[in-house]
Amino acid sequence: MTNVPTPLIELRDVSKRFGSHTAIDHLSMEVREGETVALLGQTGAGKSTVMSLLMGTSSADDGTVRVAGADPARDFVALRGKLAVSFQTDRLLPWRTAQENVELGLLLLNRPRAEARERAAQWLQRVKLGDAGHKYPAELSGGMRQRVSLARALAVDPALVLLDESFSQLDHVTSQTLRRDFAEIVREQRKTCVFVTHRIEDALEIADRILVLAAPARVCLELSVSAAQRQDAACMARMHQQIERAIGGDTDDPAEADPSSFTTTEH
Amino acid sequence: MKQADIQIPGAAKPAPSVSARKPPTTAAIVTPKPRDRSDLKALCVVVVLIFAAMEIGSWYVPDYVMPSPVVIAKALGQLLSTDLLHVAITLGRLCVAIVFSAFVGVAIGLLMGTSKKVGPYLKALVVVDTGIPALSWMLLAVFWFKDPEARIFFILTVILLPFYALNVYEGVRALSTDWVDMLESFRPSRWQMLRYLVAPHIVPYIFLTTKSVIGYAIRMVIFAELVASAFGIGSRMSFAQSTFRIDQVLAWTVLLVVLNLVIQWIATLAEARFLGWRKEAKVR
Repeated sequence: MTNVPTPLIELRDVSKRFGSHTAIDHLSMEVREGETVALLGQTGAGKSTVMSLLMGTSSADDGTVRVAGADPARDFVALRGKLAVSFQTDRLLPWRTAQENVELGLLLLNRPRAEARERAAQWLQRVKLGDAGHKYPAELSGGMRQRVSLARALAVDPALVLLDESFSQLDHVTSQTLRRDFAEIVREQRKTCVFVTHRIEDALEIADRILVLAAPARVCLELSVSAAQRQDAACMARMHQQIERAIGGDTDDPAEADPSSFTTTEH
Repeated sequence: MKQADIQIPGAAKPAPSVSARKPPTTAAIVTPKPRDRSDLKALCVVVVLIFAAMEIGSWYVPDYVMPSPVVIAKALGQLLSTDLLHVAITLGRLCVAIVFSAFVGVAIGLLMGTSKKVGPYLKALVVVDTGIPALSWMLLAVFWFKDPEARIFFILTVILLPFYALNVYEGVRALSTDWVDMLESFRPSRWQMLRYLVAPHIVPYIFLTTKSVIGYAIRMVIFAELVASAFGIGSRMSFAQSTFRIDQVLAWTVLLVVLNLVIQWIATLAEARFLGWRKEAKVR
């Protein structure tokens, strides 16, 4: 019998409305420990709403949301130290240096100052900013700031990392480099990670599983991506096309995807 | 936990911690910037023009209307040798009132911005206070307090406090929700939220308020001393006026302007020291 990891995130029949607009309509999904899941979809598909439910910044109108066994909106303190978020913008505090920004999460978790300093320095080194710790955010480039933001999230050693379009505001080259570095870190650390993106390349490069959302947020396509498939350019291209079709984007070469080459679930 | 126990897979040996390396920003901010130098040049030009106008004016009108700047300078020198205690008393009153108003005003501003229960009432109280003329407070202080120190402290506090409260309240309101969401993702306590986000965020507002109220506070303390005390620059100005010493009245005025400039300069230095992280925008 295979040892199936327990779900760290469970959404059961979740709906969320803003006035007359339904952002999420009876969505169910789960994310297991150590899994990296990408939420893909067009603008308005409800990706960010799902993210806000997971962060606990809003609560579901119907259904249940469970993150590490707790309701993130109601059990505010239960997720202390278990959850970290990297946002679309870096959200660095301008009065703190890069090092102090990375230390912030650790200090909020009441870790000793010396430990926070040591750990932040290590994480800055890990995201290739070892020399920039003394610089203020205003002195850093957009890519560097986003690296600091990632280091701040990962430094607290959370069970779950949420990324809300963290690479989308960067130029193509910076985004690609940062994406690769991040993918390397999450695989190495075996972190459970959910990230929202509208870039198919981001999802294919980082995720173990891709959930394509269609408005109002429901899963219209689910793909599993293995390490071996990532090495296969043809397979990646087919997945790319299938995702594009599910999202509703145009493709130049709408070749039929071969379902046998990768695990897909049409919803 | 020992420091050596912390190890992140894939991480190289960390660079020296920030505390071991002083950021260059702090040293750089004390050096006068080109903008500061041009401000100083403009100030010198304006002061020279004012003194020139006074000198020319003194040629055509009697001494009891406009004495020459040389006469004023002599009077100033004499006052500084005999009345230095009065200067110290005025400065002491000013400092105590500004520091007290800043502390209480910041606390009230924070409550206005963060407490849903007490906030609206404090806001209403502060708004009512801002509508009461300074002169009313001065007259009421004379009725309510016998001790001149209490009178002056009360007058300055009720006048300065609302500036701090309202500006800090605006500072809390201007807090970015992005930062609040970021910090809340770590599930902080209310105290941590205040310490790591709200307090550093309102520091520029406190400096702005202090710099804005210094000139006003000096005018108020002089006025309060004039009506409520036998000590301090205000009372000495009243004495000079009653003895028809216009050179002394103008000498005190010059001294007050210089004091204002010095205090402003100290506040600017402190601001640069604490807000060195700010990148100043250049508008064409």
